[in-house]
Amino acid sequence: MGLLNFTRDPVPEAVSGDMHNLNQLSAQQFSALTEVLFRFLTEPKEVERFLTQLSDFATMNKISLGPLKNIVKSILLVPNGALKRNLSSEQVRADFIALGLSEEKASYFAEQWKVNSPTLTRLAVGQTLMINQLIDMEWKFGVTAGSSELEKVGSIFLQLKLVVKKGSQMENVYMELTLPQFYSFLHEMERIKTSLESFS
Amino acid sequence: MAAVRAGEFAALQSLLKAPSRDAVRQLCRECFASPPAGLGPLAQRACPGLAAGPEEAEQLVSALHHLTRHVVYRGLTRAEEILCLFPESFHQNLKNLLTKIILENISAWRTEAQASQISLPRLVDMDWRVDIKTSSDSINRMAVPTCLLQLKIQEDVALCGNSPVVSALTVELSKETLDTMLEGLGRIRDQLSAVANK
Repeated sequence: MGLLNFTRDPVPEAVSGDMHNLNQLSAQQFSALTEVLFRFLTEPKEVERFLTQLSDFATMNKISLGPLKNIVKSILLVPNGALKRNLSSEQVRADFIALGLSEEKASYFAEQWKVNSPTLTRLAVGQTLMINQLIDMEWKFGVTAGSSELEKVGSIFLQLKLVVKKGSQMENVYMELTLPQFYSFLHEMERIKTSLESFS
Repeated sequence: MAAVRAGEFAALQSLLKAPSRDAVRQLCRECFASPPAGLGPLAQRACPGLAAGPEEAEQLVSALHHLTRHVVYRGLTRAEEILCLFPESFHQNLKNLLTKIILENISAWRTEAQASQISLPRLVDMDWRVDIKTSSDSINRMAVPTCLLQLKIQEDVALCGNSPVVSALTVELSKETLDTMLEGLGRIRDQLSAVANK
């Protein structure tokens, strides 16, 4: 096996056997299995659903679930590595062929990869570490009518509540801004937006 | 802040023994600035020449504190309004002097009262930087801009007294979060201008 694009590590022995079994599936069966796989990749939290769909596929096509799961594990090695390394669909196709999958099936999978890769990339970026991520912001503003020191006031205040994710917990941060502070805060935020946009 | 009582005006007459107008001015400022709990020590410190004894000193300081705070509370701005507070029998020159001193200081005192009123923790400073994420454990190469915002927040002034507690909070925002935030802030600005234009 030549150099693979999706990984630098040696591939497990079982993979070529699994690719051989995959080649035995009809085009229709392969397409149905690919659909199940991509649905899982684009919604990785739906593990239950994925397992149910796999077992339905196994029953409908008279394949035992155990070997099917091994095949699926082998297949998934490629998209996971491809995502990490930003591989093109040609590279994905080349890797599947190198692993022993038929040209027809490799091309089909690579096509599906091309269609789904924007969604998958966005998902992977979304999983990237964020420190104290700002989750939500609530605000209210009003007028201070009076206080114990001043009978009539009439000044505007703005209160912000920021919901920040610290580790696995949410923390609420409350603060108050005067009107001039609000305007300079808004001004700075707009500057940040311009800066972020120039890098996108 | 209730009106100043007759007995308190009587106590103010001790100011006639003051060495100079500036001394009276200084005392007015200190009495306004002091919280009720600080009046005792202030009386001992500031009035040895003015009062016959410690009790009289305390009454003087307390009356001056009450008078200045009352004027600020009611938002009185004109000389006539302040002169009206004093009883008929009050010493004319002292009345005029006190009114003059109060008018000199009233806007500074009002600002100070507003600055020290109770509030939620206040935003005192804000800094930011924009980073580009180039790599992570889930993706080897990317170019994702992200923003780090540091907010310095000061706890309620009334609680901290002279040593304010400032905490720094660093928050990370993605571009989407920033856009949503700006949308919210824009809505606040629009509502503020609608209120201002009414």
